[in-house]
Amino acid sequence: MKTFEVAGTTLALALFVDVTNSKQLLDLMQAGTLEPEVAFLNASLIPDVFPVLAAAYKAYISKSRDSLTTRTLHSELVYNYSGSKHISESLKRCGISDSTNYILVARFDASVDEMTAIKGLIKGSEINLEELERRADQAHIQKVRSLSLSLSLSLSLYVCVDARHYKISAPELGISSISDAITCRIAARDAL
Amino acid sequence: MDIKLDGVESSMVLIKQGAEARVFESTFVGRRSIVKERFSKKYRHPTLDSKLTLKRLNAEARCMTKARKLGVSTPALYAVDPLQHSLTFEFVEGPAVKDIFLDFGLNGIVEERLTDIATQIGNAIGKIHDGGLIHGDLTTSNMLVRNGTNQLVLIDFGLSFTSTLPEDKAVDLYVLERALLSMHSSCGNVMDKILAAYRKSSKQWCSTLNKLAQGDIAFLWDCSTQIHHKSEMKEIGAAVGACTIIDTYRFSYLIVN
Repeated sequence: MKTFEVAGTTLALALFVDVTNSKQLLDLMQAGTLEPEVAFLNASLIPDVFPVLAAAYKAYISKSRDSLTTRTLHSELVYNYSGSKHISESLKRCGISDSTNYILVARFDASVDEMTAIKGLIKGSEINLEELERRADQAHIQKVRSLSLSLSLSLSLYVCVDARHYKISAPELGISSISDAITCRIAARDAL
Repeated sequence: MDIKLDGVESSMVLIKQGAEARVFESTFVGRRSIVKERFSKKYRHPTLDSKLTLKRLNAEARCMTKARKLGVSTPALYAVDPLQHSLTFEFVEGPAVKDIFLDFGLNGIVEERLTDIATQIGNAIGKIHDGGLIHGDLTTSNMLVRNGTNQLVLIDFGLSFTSTLPEDKAVDLYVLERALLSMHSSCGNVMDKILAAYRKSSKQWCSTLNKLAQGDIAFLWDCSTQIHHKSEMKEIGAAVGACTIIDTYRFSYLIVN
């Protein structure tokens, strides 16, 4: 577990592999009975912590202005990370499913007790955050991001024009890391 | 819950003040960053002012990310704040092309480096133009060279817009040519090197360079700069709604022909 300074508050992150109870975690979260409240992110979509911190910054600012798009601060973090405007699709893609076994857990302003409670909740083994970079399945990240292309195509033409570039293209990867490319999408989403 | 803006702002160091925005150095979740904050103009009607500022803020964020998607390096965008009218992006470590060229003028030209930079400039402009993006303010102070990799980074997309018209692209190049002539005449003909690279990188170079060769580009540029620099004109354009800045000078172009 590691704690980061974000917008004057803190964000605690912990990375888990071989998680066996993701269905249980998902049920608890959807029932709203998860204690303490946390964000579960599909870690295979995260090349390093920076875009997560950018998404957290954005979520925290929205919260402080009472302008959250989703129900809670932590679901907002997951939604923001997707860099997309489709809420349910974002939560599905960037959150966890029944079968997710590689999970990044995030909590704002977490106390030591809360983090211990979270660790007790997740049946898996915690690994170092630096593992994110090593394990990032880059091809997979790009695949999911290009998926949003086909999703948006069904919407209006205007949305489609912007979505055409949504995937991280080869020219963009030539000048930018995946992490920076994702951060840009997170930051620019509401400007599009 | 209140945002602890005081804590954030106290670490912001003003590095430049322009006509439309202030540029600060700051940190964003642990990384060195640049914050560009557009300020409100007190002489404008408040409603119009916030609409214009927000529109330009979003346009700048869009154009910056569009350039990246076209394979031209720009600072990575970290955050857009529609309430504070600010953009936060990566702090690029490295000198401006302007300073490198001025140094060539003082201490002699390093031919290899000059050619490398000129080629990168031509390539970058070719790529954004082919993607329908016009930078709008191509000067050597809006280009940085990243330390270590020597990669060219385009900055300041505050006047950028999308267009596929050869006229707009030619004006973009003309602005650069003027900037080079006035600032860096001691560097020899950099523009030729840039255009040679532009020709190779842009598929539509022919129509653009034809326009550039025509004399009336100077007039077009004159119109566009007059309009770009006179914010009153912009406001009139925005207030009328139907008449954009670009339309205004395209219209004047039509009259001339």
